[in-house]
Amino acid sequence: MTAPFDPDAPDPIIRRDFLKKLSAAGTAAWMSGEPQIVRGNEIQHPEAKADSCILLWLAGGMAAPETFDPKRYAPFEKGMAVDSVLSTFDSIDTSVDGLKICEGMENIAQIMDRSTLIRSAVQPDLGSILHSRHQYHWHTGYVPPQTVAAPHLGSWMARVLGPKNPVMPPFINIGQRLEGVGEKEELKAFTTAGFFGSEYGPMNLPFPEEAAKSVRPPGSMTSDRFTNRDKLYRKLVDQSPHRDYASDHQQESLLRSMDNAYRLLNSDERKAFDITEEPKEVQERYDTSRFGRGCLLARRLVENGARFVEVTTEYVPFLHWDTHAGGHSTVARMHSEIDRPISQLILDLEERGLLDRTLVIVASEFSRDAIMEGKPGSEANDQATHKVDTITEAKHYGLHRHFTGGTSVAMFGGGVKKGNIYGKTADERPLVAVENPVTVTDLHATIMTAMGVSPKTEFVVEGRPFYVTEDGKGKPVMDIFA
Amino acid sequence: MSPVIFMTQLTCEKVVPTDALSWRDSVVAPISNPDTLEGMKHFLPTAILASQAFLCFDAQGEIDFVHEVVPILKQHCTECHGGEEAEGGFSVNTRELFLDDDSAEPGNAENSYFIELILDKDPDYQMPPIKKKRMPKEQVETLKQWVNEGMNWEPGFTFGKPTYDPPLEPRMPEIPKSADGRDNPVDRFIDHYLATNKLPRPGPIDDLTFLRRAHLDLIGLLPTAEEAEAFVGNKSPQKRTEKIDELLNREISYTDHWLTFWNDLLRNDYAGTGFITKGRTQISGWLYDALKTNQRFDTMVRELIAPPTGESAGFINGIKWRGTVSVSQTLPVQFSQSISQSFLGINMKCASCHDSFIDRWKLTDAYGLAAIYAEEPLEIHRCDKPVGETAKAAWVFPEIGNIDPEASKEARLTRLADLMTHPENGRVPRTIVNRLWAQLMGRGLVHPLDAMQTEPWHEDLLDFLGSTFQENGYDLKDTIRLIATSEAYQSRAEPRKSEESGKYTYRGPLAKRLTSEQFIDAIWQLSEAAPTSFDAPVVRGIANEKDVKKLQIPSRWIWKASAATPPAAGDEALLRKDFTIKKRVIGAGLVASADNSFTLQVNRKEALSGSNWSELESASVINLLRPGVNRILLLAKNGGDKPNAAGAFAMLRLVYEDGSDEIITTDETWQAATTIPKNFASPKWDFSALKWTSVSEMKADVWPAAIDQLIGEALAIKSAAADLMVRASLLKSDFLMRSLGRPNRDQIVTSRPNEITTLEAIDLSNSETLAGYLDRGAERFLESASAPDFIDQLYLAALTRKPGDGERALLAEILTDTPDHETIADVLWAITMTPEFMLIR
Repeated sequence: MTAPFDPDAPDPIIRRDFLKKLSAAGTAAWMSGEPQIVRGNEIQHPEAKADSCILLWLAGGMAAPETFDPKRYAPFEKGMAVDSVLSTFDSIDTSVDGLKICEGMENIAQIMDRSTLIRSAVQPDLGSILHSRHQYHWHTGYVPPQTVAAPHLGSWMARVLGPKNPVMPPFINIGQRLEGVGEKEELKAFTTAGFFGSEYGPMNLPFPEEAAKSVRPPGSMTSDRFTNRDKLYRKLVDQSPHRDYASDHQQESLLRSMDNAYRLLNSDERKAFDITEEPKEVQERYDTSRFGRGCLLARRLVENGARFVEVTTEYVPFLHWDTHAGGHSTVARMHSEIDRPISQLILDLEERGLLDRTLVIVASEFSRDAIMEGKPGSEANDQATHKVDTITEAKHYGLHRHFTGGTSVAMFGGGVKKGNIYGKTADERPLVAVENPVTVTDLHATIMTAMGVSPKTEFVVEGRPFYVTEDGKGKPVMDIFA
Repeated sequence: MSPVIFMTQLTCEKVVPTDALSWRDSVVAPISNPDTLEGMKHFLPTAILASQAFLCFDAQGEIDFVHEVVPILKQHCTECHGGEEAEGGFSVNTRELFLDDDSAEPGNAENSYFIELILDKDPDYQMPPIKKKRMPKEQVETLKQWVNEGMNWEPGFTFGKPTYDPPLEPRMPEIPKSADGRDNPVDRFIDHYLATNKLPRPGPIDDLTFLRRAHLDLIGLLPTAEEAEAFVGNKSPQKRTEKIDELLNREISYTDHWLTFWNDLLRNDYAGTGFITKGRTQISGWLYDALKTNQRFDTMVRELIAPPTGESAGFINGIKWRGTVSVSQTLPVQFSQSISQSFLGINMKCASCHDSFIDRWKLTDAYGLAAIYAEEPLEIHRCDKPVGETAKAAWVFPEIGNIDPEASKEARLTRLADLMTHPENGRVPRTIVNRLWAQLMGRGLVHPLDAMQTEPWHEDLLDFLGSTFQENGYDLKDTIRLIATSEAYQSRAEPRKSEESGKYTYRGPLAKRLTSEQFIDAIWQLSEAAPTSFDAPVVRGIANEKDVKKLQIPSRWIWKASAATPPAAGDEALLRKDFTIKKRVIGAGLVASADNSFTLQVNRKEALSGSNWSELESASVINLLRPGVNRILLLAKNGGDKPNAAGAFAMLRLVYEDGSDEIITTDETWQAATTIPKNFASPKWDFSALKWTSVSEMKADVWPAAIDQLIGEALAIKSAAADLMVRASLLKSDFLMRSLGRPNRDQIVTSRPNEITTLEAIDLSNSETLAGYLDRGAERFLESASAPDFIDQLYLAALTRKPGDGERALLAEILTDTPDHETIADVLWAITMTPEFMLIR
């Protein structure tokens, strides 16, 4: 453990007072114009089943029939009719009797006995499929645009539950670049704490292998130099003639934040950000891709007290799960990116005794279908780049339409039933949810319930209530909990 | 691992009452402790819950007073027991009145008299009285549950008249007598206020504190060390007022700074959601010009609400997302919300879904404003469900006039602009002067800024500022000047308190945190690390008379030499000119016209287009240019139905850093393509496939007659250069700016965060971007000064003061006689992280 202060040096900042005040939590919320939680009746929060959450985000529209919900397999044949294709992967057995998932996910198949698989998640048809818009909806529970900036799911947890370990940022977002990619402005719109303010916003780590850098002193700065710089800072603050502002709230807030930052950048916890601290063989188990390394990073962060971590395969228009052509071969690659890391993550959490208290969610903004855009009756534009009736080339073979009528969400740990299947989609097109449909709102309610947060938790912003699930309407799917 | 826990550890039993946990403020318990979660529940925020179906709310659980109880009481009770009425001496106006005479017992519905009366079958006793409708069973249950839960009441809510009703009309109050020779009317009001409240006047500030504050508040920049020394040396008794005037007259710096405030208020940005699908347009160019010329605020409001051109249309047109959106976020409803918030300080967001529970605005008010904008009949929706009524365009303060719902959209918008800027409309001036007051003084006279129905802490002063603003021609700078020249502005900042409880009392101005833009600009000033180009599509210079005269150059018109004489109707000419840029360009203006229409590209990006030979189109193209070879492509098309005169004209003026300039205009050195690419606008066609031949000069007296007198001014304005540091407000938001609180501007955000969060502090501590700037700064200081001098210069430049003895000694020890680069960078970092640097005091 690094000593944050020189024990011999008198502590230069007038600290006693603000140290004391640190315990008087939530001063920020009292500041002008900031959202305040509605006070009044004591809210009945459900008992928490989990205290950490990892969202594994398969961005771009993971086709359920190619992953967790295989349908009739139609192997590639020149001249086959497009509408004969439901799944382009064969199904395989899993560790749960009667549960099959797609070929290529052999490792995940072995851990399905730890999961509840929701096969009936549905999304609204927003009239036109803009991935980032559905992602906004999934991540905030609200469809954009909104009159106030809606907070991300992770920000809700950061705001309502706070950090699990005070040196650890409560909301960490791994794998998504927010600059230099398409629809970046739309991604930024929901990758935010919104009206909660940046205190509750994500710490963005687009490259897991570089995460260690973000909690290290800048560039080539040595640890000694960093410590000296901090000492100098404290001495300068102490020398400042503006002494009569020592009790000033803004000043306190600044000094406290700077102090927190210094502590993190000098703490043992920062090692949690460095995946190279893992033994080589462990790194290799995860090292399929940035996503795989992100899963390893997520595990380390949760072990060290992160509250909410999202790891994404990254949304880049037309890449990865966003298959507008050549879907089959792309998804085969995606299988190999996610299969080992996801299963290893679950096994590692289990081995460390953390799985029961960690809710791991595997999800995407919607599913895909070979011919149907949106859902039955939808007026959404067909955006497939190769529109053919007959498949003549490999690039035509795959699920290239955006489908909102039914998809899968896999959940592990965090108090969910094990080896459980919830909901069902039709076996023939349209592959809509035919049993126990779960809306985005209810899914949010379920996740928040697992975390011990009432779906009706609300904050007043600009004089209006704003709820953790849309208008407080979310109903948790209690059947999935053990 | 042993966590470095900075926070005081508390056990769960000793919980301080809290309703908010944040990362840094959290109460900590070891993760492994199984009690933690149990304990955490105590910390969880309390919340009111919605139950049973009412309006948008469809939930079970605890009763939501505002959304569930209020409507029931309004429906059945308040007619006789609310507002002015108190039949039988019973009023439900407030919780206190409700509980008076034991009409109810919180926590015990069985024992509550009013419930008894509601359930009473006796026609002589029952409530509501026999002639009225009975209260449905579910509603009685809701009330019972509410009582059993303790009769939660919205703080401050009353069924009676709100204690404060803001006036609409302007009012010029009597100005109190001046005391101690403090003549500025602002001081006369403030001094009177302080005297009445028996509060001391905050002390005055010294010249350097004033200088720093005025610089940052008025133009957003630190005073330089030279400016600081000159100001201290200035012996004029009027020097502060002179300084304020000087700063306000620096048009570009003033505009660059206030652009941030206006972009926030009008949710304008250079990138953001909506642009990708062309669902949004910028007003940047228009806004920049308006600020640069200190356009009257009423004119700005007019042009934003009833845009004379596309340049200012982006505000009312909002953000259109592809696909279906909820009814409360359609463009007309966005319009209703935006104009209400920005100009009237009204939150129309509640009322655009259902009648507001917190103020007087109703669904029909929100839709009345929305219908002004709507192209099609607009069906009123309550909570996204149609109510079977069509909205009628209407204005929210009919006492000064209304809008004819039958008029055209254009006429409706024009009429709304009239009403917004109506001389009897005091709300709009009050709203904007209150915002300006908050910018300068740290807190509004009315707070929050977007809730203008709130009672001001000094109504006379607000009314005075509003009326003076109107009388002085809605002059923004005038109001800023009036406030900044007051002793009140020039007095010591009061330390902020963490909590604001009860009534606000003014004791002095409040310190303001540097905005993201101010902070980055200040770092760039110290480090000279500002970028050399920017993103905002604005013309950052001021055209001078000399340039206008010099640039009055006759137009020359060309067409492809191969064309028939006269060219055929519909004939097209693709004209080309390549030129080389060898020096840094600081201004580039382009004018063009064609008979009959044209599109002009610079480096394959569209720069200008037009379809009328008697009009001159113009633009600044500095952002399209690059060092080395540049290319203009001008595609012109002849009109008519038989052969007729055709010609195209373009003139580009480049202004270089060294002060020289260069003109490139259509002449015989241009070339014409032998074929025309199919999709000229697309970036995809192959330029190398084209073949090039010569052009001919064309003559027609009407062309120069129509446009020649316009060339000088248009070219001078568009090529005018500001040889000033590029400012953060002109750039797209980046990671550091966002981290420091620049909003996304998807919504209107009228106040920036006052505090610095831990995530920001991490970024400030290890941002490579910031470290890069400070490295540049270290180089600069190494070159320019030796150690003792350096310390003084640095303090003057960064903190606008000389270092104290202790500070000088401390830094002298660190810096030695030959300081190294790293040490200086660290000193720069440490100084710029201090509260003194980060806050405007």
